[in-house]
Amino acid sequence: MFDNVNPEKPMIMHIDLNSAFATIEQQARPHLRGLPMGVTNRFSKECCVIAASYEAKALGIKVGTRRSDAIAICPKFVILESDPSKYRAVYFKLMAIMESYSPKIKMKSIDEGIIDFHGCEPILNGRTLVDIGYEIKQRVKDEIGDWMKINIGISMNWFLAKQAASWHKPDGLDVIDQSNIEDYYKEMKLMDISGIAEKFAARLMANDITTPIQFFHAKEQKLRKQVFQSVVGTYWHRRLRGYEVDDFATHKGMVGRQWVVHKPTYKDDYLLPCFSVLCETIGVKLRSKNLEARGICVQLRFQNGETFREKRMYRSTFYTNQEVYKRALEQFNKRPSGAIVTQINIYTYQLTASSRSQLGFFDDVQKIDDLTMAVDGINEKYGLFTVYSAISLDGTKIVKQKIPFGGTEYFELLLKKS
Amino acid sequence: MNPITEVNVRVSVVSISHAEARDTVSYVPYKMKYQNREIVFTQLGMRHPTEKGKRMIHVFDVSDEANDYRLEFDAERLTWTLISIMEGRYVR
Repeated sequence: MFDNVNPEKPMIMHIDLNSAFATIEQQARPHLRGLPMGVTNRFSKECCVIAASYEAKALGIKVGTRRSDAIAICPKFVILESDPSKYRAVYFKLMAIMESYSPKIKMKSIDEGIIDFHGCEPILNGRTLVDIGYEIKQRVKDEIGDWMKINIGISMNWFLAKQAASWHKPDGLDVIDQSNIEDYYKEMKLMDISGIAEKFAARLMANDITTPIQFFHAKEQKLRKQVFQSVVGTYWHRRLRGYEVDDFATHKGMVGRQWVVHKPTYKDDYLLPCFSVLCETIGVKLRSKNLEARGICVQLRFQNGETFREKRMYRSTFYTNQEVYKRALEQFNKRPSGAIVTQINIYTYQLTASSRSQLGFFDDVQKIDDLTMAVDGINEKYGLFTVYSAISLDGTKIVKQKIPFGGTEYFELLLKKS
Repeated sequence: MNPITEVNVRVSVVSISHAEARDTVSYVPYKMKYQNREIVFTQLGMRHPTEKGKRMIHVFDVSDEANDYRLEFDAERLTWTLISIMEGRYVR
């Protein structure tokens, strides 16, 4: 059944903002338009680029390039600190445009999303998805800004729509359907396939699959039994032919926060206030999702290259900032003394839906819950970290909330920090 | 070097509200007085809303022929603040 290309009409549209943060900054600051520039999360001598403009990319400056390397390539390279509220505004405008075409949209990250047009044929009034695509491009220019450019891909499933969107960058619009799918694969390299990185590529090559067209023609049995040795092979076989295998709800498995220590040290008087801020952020995230956790894990990276990882499961669930801090601190204190910490990663796991609405047996529990709700209420009204624990006092000046990669689930929370 | 110069001072602004214009340009700062100079804006880069607690702040990124400016309009206190300047000569 899945050996042939999906015969249905392409009804999935993938929309991708080109070099999103850099383009948005160029839109906001006209003097930067047409110049090699980039965005970083925290401005410093050795900061790295998290988004590069197309002009910078043309010079070889890309995501991850250090500022010093970028300036060596282009002495006039301009780098700006990220501005989350600006990106959020663009994100919501883009989402509003997408929602005006179909109730079935999915934002995959801050700068890309999918419109599923299945069932929307009556409201298209006979227009093709290509017509709609060009209209969306124009609306993005009218409603967000005339410097904004988007890539649009149209196909039968999420995967091929994304591939189509990255076919001709920037400002492209492409359709992959039954008529050109093989031509498309013939043009591409293995690593151009979204989801195929070094390890998967090596695995494919070890099985004599060195090009996307060979990957496309590979039998399902070979992919499942020989190449991937699991059902992943079956999924790839279907995905490459335009059958949907990626449209499923994901389960939230962990909530955490990672931070690169601004001034690496072993000293508690610097680390603990920052550690407390990270824990408070996790507590807020848990409560915003109405979740409670049972497990906590602390991972550290040290200056000498070594790492530390300690985790523990508790009998009872927790959700308050104090509980997160107390439990995380137990693990943190087990680290080797004197080791200079360069990175902290804390996450909670074994998440369950919150039972906070249930009455507690003990007064203390109720008081803690009331206090937490009161503090959340104040922070909701006046901005995150208006009221916080005393130990976080110095940490709030050091730990900055930055743009998250990937999901957009905490965007609202992130922007509430005034 | 950071190309942005933080300013963060209250400024006097003349703004224009266009009844017919589309949302993105329906309300724009036209000129401001800063350091006894009158700066007339020639381009609106972007306007976006943000919040300080529950206070709505409208951020305007505007430019004249020389520089890019970031202005904030506090919709509750009805005040304009010049947040930062990016000198055009820095990037050209």
